[in-house]
Amino acid sequence: MILQALYDYYQRKAQDPESALAPAGFEYKEIPFILELREDGSLNQIEDTRFIENKKKRAKAERVTQGVKKTSGVAANLLWDNAEYVLGVDTKGKPERVKEQQAAFLEKIRALDLADKDKGINAVIQFLEQLDHSVLAQQPLWEEITKTNPNLTFRLQGQPYLVCQSRLVQNALSNSANDESAKATCLITGETAEIERLHPAIKGVWGAQTAGANIISFNLDAFTSYGKSQSFNAPVSKEAAFAYTTALNHLLGKDSNQRMQVGDASTVFWASKEDALEDSFAAIWGASPAKDDPDRNTSAVKAVYEAVEKYGRKPAVGEETIFYILGLAPNAARISIRFWHVATVREVSQRIVEHFKLLEIDRSERDPEFLPLWLLLRAIALLGKTENVPPNLAGEVMRSILDGRPYPETLLSSAIRRIRAEQQVTYARAALIKAYLNRLTSTENLTVSLDIENPNQGYRLGRLFAVLEKIQEEANHGLNATIRDRYYGAASATPVTVFSTLMKLKNHHLSKMDNKGRVNNLEKLLGEIISEIQDFPSHLSLKDQGRFAIGYYHQRQDFFKKRNKTEPMTTANSVTTTDNQGDTE
Amino acid sequence: MSYSFCLEVSGDFACFTRPEMKVERVSYDVITPSAARAVFEAILWKPAIRWHIRRIEVLKPIRWMSLRRNEVASVIPAGAVKSAMKQGKGHLGLYIEEDRQQRAGLFLRDVRYRLYADFELLSPDSDNTTVKFAEMFKRRASKGQCFNQPYLGTREFSCAFRLVDSDEPIEKPQELIGKRELGWMLYDIDFSDIENPTPRFFQATLQDGVLIVPAGDSEEIRG
Repeated sequence: MILQALYDYYQRKAQDPESALAPAGFEYKEIPFILELREDGSLNQIEDTRFIENKKKRAKAERVTQGVKKTSGVAANLLWDNAEYVLGVDTKGKPERVKEQQAAFLEKIRALDLADKDKGINAVIQFLEQLDHSVLAQQPLWEEITKTNPNLTFRLQGQPYLVCQSRLVQNALSNSANDESAKATCLITGETAEIERLHPAIKGVWGAQTAGANIISFNLDAFTSYGKSQSFNAPVSKEAAFAYTTALNHLLGKDSNQRMQVGDASTVFWASKEDALEDSFAAIWGASPAKDDPDRNTSAVKAVYEAVEKYGRKPAVGEETIFYILGLAPNAARISIRFWHVATVREVSQRIVEHFKLLEIDRSERDPEFLPLWLLLRAIALLGKTENVPPNLAGEVMRSILDGRPYPETLLSSAIRRIRAEQQVTYARAALIKAYLNRLTSTENLTVSLDIENPNQGYRLGRLFAVLEKIQEEANHGLNATIRDRYYGAASATPVTVFSTLMKLKNHHLSKMDNKGRVNNLEKLLGEIISEIQDFPSHLSLKDQGRFAIGYYHQRQDFFKKRNKTEPMTTANSVTTTDNQGDTE
Repeated sequence: MSYSFCLEVSGDFACFTRPEMKVERVSYDVITPSAARAVFEAILWKPAIRWHIRRIEVLKPIRWMSLRRNEVASVIPAGAVKSAMKQGKGHLGLYIEEDRQQRAGLFLRDVRYRLYADFELLSPDSDNTTVKFAEMFKRRASKGQCFNQPYLGTREFSCAFRLVDSDEPIEKPQELIGKRELGWMLYDIDFSDIENPTPRFFQATLQDGVLIVPAGDSEEIRG
């Protein structure tokens, strides 16, 4: 499933000449310096391929022969490697080892046996044989090369391609792959083929080793079965192993717009056919806040809304296109699968729209219309920091969104805990609680804006608390701390303990107010809210605490609404009218 | 005459580990034939019979969960065992607390399947008749007897089972309607070469929640 889909993706992309997927035996690698040689093997110049991106220097990615798996031993790549291997520069103070490395590098090129056929190879061999550091030291870039030990490769002067990209080298590589050794049924393709013993590493998984980690690896004895070694425990043909790793590395690459970070899981996604969702999926979750287009998130979500509204449940273009979402997390030099979701593009789009509709709640102009996932998760984390989000939670949330199932319970409890700790019902938290409760039970119907009909105790008490706070604010202008700072936690969890005090306080506050008309209005509003509350309950359940937060948030947003419209709140009825307008919008 | 039986199994969790992702475990989407075979064998197995899974019906939507667990990292070396046997003393213990590996897993949750199977009599004679084993299985399964608790993929995910009349109606989840390609799935391990057991695979397709398992000697099984 996962590997098959990646294999298919490679096949699809390999057909496309525009794509940056390397053919078999090759990979794309950032090579900062290219040694340009003359035909006689002397050095013409060292070319610097780097360019500036985001104030950092980055090297151009070149198609080079696929690198070998580097371990502690000496293992040279073919025709490209770091300065230790290529030039014998000793950067770590181990001259013996460097000598060995360079010898291995040269030996590998000689083993190709192309020196008399390919001018480039011949030049490289000559260059390496008569390597003279004193000549090299005159090069302006020499100091940087000895310091940073960068990757290097060769080009023959006047040739547009690298030495390792010549047709002869390519042919030699594809032929050498056919030696008969262990053959078995490949579990990706089902063909009988030669089995890969060690799979290419997968790079770019956040938190994993920079050299790359593996999905298929058997790095400890306890992982093997039936006396088999390494990847013979899971027979995958060389071709399929190359294809799935290349595809995955491409998706995880630096420039890929088909990856995003969901909590600690590096997430990639792709479709079985070309699809617009591939490009916009990351933007929908606000994964990459592009500087040049701050509205990318909003417009991406709107596009999905439109697509869903247009086609609804009717068959749509690309309906049967399958969309894959894969979340990867590192674990002890291996990569584990955090989540894996397969659905049609239509299903995924519908789920996305459902999710954002659930989140919809009154907001101020400054707040984003569609809450990106990371903003949601940060809202429930300690100090609002991404690293304080529980590691597994982001993936679980993603899964519940895509499955259209209730959100994880931790979401509600942490949101309420953060609200009580900070006495702040923020837009993101309110949206989250609303979405959580509405999805949990189909009968729950928390509205986008103030719902004066909602009879729920928690909701009513939340509204009441917001009005009491408002009264206090209007009675004492410029307060630093309101009743919210002192009483929010107790009011939302154990109402009976504080509300009687608060009701008494309210009388004091009202008596301080000069505008008697205003006092009247507020009292009317209070009466209307309290009419549904028989008794202050001794405690509220977690869900009711959530509704309390929503009631408080709604009522408070409602006060702001009035102020924005510069329309004085006259009676409690005016609340009704504006609310209705809000509904019909 | 062959007897066909249907067992309904259900459990809170299941993990039918894929060989390619057996370290950081990822389950197959549905129960594999070999895991289903093990369920039948837990109820009745004799050297004279061999179970064949014919058909698997999925009764609950496919749900996932991810979990990290501590597992052991090493195996007790065979050499140490040999030398201990020779000398009559030695140390064979493996302390999991000192030798841990944390491994992540993507498991199935809340599963329910109907498994259809029949058995083959390897050496029919007057003592070993089909009817005898069929009656034994029927009696044991309907009473809930088993040699070991049947499990779903890994031992820690034990399951409940019951014998089902094959004409008992079933309700299929709406989500499973349609065709799903599950890719190459492990059929079983071939032990005919005991030195080098080889896995055998087949192309699994779930049609409206039903997985038809090809016969063990058919061309569709490769490996």
